Amino acid sequence: MGLTADEFTIQFISTVVKFSILAVMLLQVPPVMLLVERRIPAFMQRRKGPNRVGLFKFRLYGVMQALADTIKLIFKEEVVPEGAQKVFYHLAPVFSVFPAFLIAMAIPYGPDIQVLGQTIPLSVVRLDVGFLFIFAISSLAVYGVTIAGWASNNKYALLGSLRASAQMISYEIPLGMSLIPIVLIYGSLDLNKIVEAQTTFLKWGIFLSPISFLLFLIAMFAETNRTPFDLSEAEGELVAGFHTEYNSTKFAAFFLGEYVSMFVLSCLASTVFFGGWQVPFFDVRALDQLVGLPGVGALVGFGSLLMKAAFFMWLYVWVRWTIPRFRYDQLMNLGWKYMIPLGLINVVATALVLAAVWFK
Amino acid sequence: MPDFSSLMSHGVFHLLAGLITLVSVLVVVSKHPVKSAVFLVVDLFLLAAVYASLESHFVAAIQVLVYAGAVVVLFLFVIMLLNLQPDQLRGMRFNPVEAVTLIVSVIGMLIMLGVSMSGKPTGLGDGSMDVNAIEAAGGNTYMIAMKLLTDYIWPFELASILILLAIVAAVVIAKKDKKPVVS
Repeated sequence: MGLTADEFTIQFISTVVKFSILAVMLLQVPPVMLLVERRIPAFMQRRKGPNRVGLFKFRLYGVMQALADTIKLIFKEEVVPEGAQKVFYHLAPVFSVFPAFLIAMAIPYGPDIQVLGQTIPLSVVRLDVGFLFIFAISSLAVYGVTIAGWASNNKYALLGSLRASAQMISYEIPLGMSLIPIVLIYGSLDLNKIVEAQTTFLKWGIFLSPISFLLFLIAMFAETNRTPFDLSEAEGELVAGFHTEYNSTKFAAFFLGEYVSMFVLSCLASTVFFGGWQVPFFDVRALDQLVGLPGVGALVGFGSLLMKAAFFMWLYVWVRWTIPRFRYDQLMNLGWKYMIPLGLINVVATALVLAAVWFK
Repeated sequence: MPDFSSLMSHGVFHLLAGLITLVSVLVVVSKHPVKSAVFLVVDLFLLAAVYASLESHFVAAIQVLVYAGAVVVLFLFVIMLLNLQPDQLRGMRFNPVEAVTLIVSVIGMLIMLGVSMSGKPTGLGDGSMDVNAIEAAGGNTYMIAMKLLTDYIWPFELASILILLAIVAAVVIAKKDKKPVVS
């Protein structure tokens, strides 16, 4: 592990730069999704959606709506409910944003690049246990929801937070279990090694382990509390669930946490099941020599991952406007009685097939 | 050239150790039980950071996943649902259980202090398990998997059976009331 001072400096600066770029990128997710969440349903229901807001004559299909909404959210008056647990009330949004940003650091956004003779991985941290890191940190996201609901001193908020945390704890198990076959198949917990193994279509995770993808997709929706599993904020029953008493910037923080974790899970799904930064039938790392510019391959790989992630973000919105909300007992039954046994069978079956291949 | 990263990791360790001590004290002295639970989460998270700084990423991840992510969530659930207020807890201070806990932990601390002061090597001192040797053998996660599934397979499996028994027992206790549950 011994690094000289120069090597250390390069690694340190590159990490700071990578983290800054990532943070700025993640902050752009909610404003974009603000518009997308309105325009896509409008498109699906054959209506216009917000397209009026603009600067002077430049309307650009309502792009400025995102800016207007953001300004509105930030400049609203902050009201702290009476009888709230002050410290925890203010701390809860932080607990919900922090894990989402932390998980994003482990995703490989592109192939390694060479800077000043040193290999720089295109994820903020390169961990040999990338998978476990993601599950470990995402399990901390429960605290934001739980503490928010409890500290608000509101029945609906508490009920919403209890529902949400029970749901998140339950669906963490199938989420983790769905990825064990992937770890078995590629033989690594390192996300970058898994991406590097998915060189062609037939080596993509979705083709090698389709049941894993199905389980992951369902658990992904439940883990981010999105429709059809948005029981934590079922507006017909619980006003707005755990964030009933939140407004202004603190509400925006919950919003940010939710969309960033959606984005990160989308990135994870693309990384594990759709080849991450790989482009089918084509090695992006060879682009550097072909074009003659260093870094082109990394950019193309990054674009490839972003496009795949954008598909999943779109899927989130698509499903939201297509499938109605589950009942709570249906949600728990699906998680514990169908998804977990199916996940276990999937793990054992994959292990048996792999063992049969090895000992042939 | 000095080994820069090892210098850094020494600094990081001392910083983390200080923070862990501070937060651990806060867990004990906090008046509000929810505050204690939240400090406990921070404590376990920082402990995972120590494991990570020792290049033991697997143990660090499992530490956060199991303790901070699952066990303390359940603590927090119970505390929140009981909704204990600080003044209700006052009568529970200085009971015999706490006195015994205090004595045992002081004795344990003294033993640990004595062992670490005596200068004898603690743990696996023969050098076959230091960071570089593990890195050469295929990485920390690989080594843990190999040890766990070869040399220590029986303890590992027995522990899992024990946990399974505990789960079954918990379900049996919870199902004692045989009245039909309205779902």
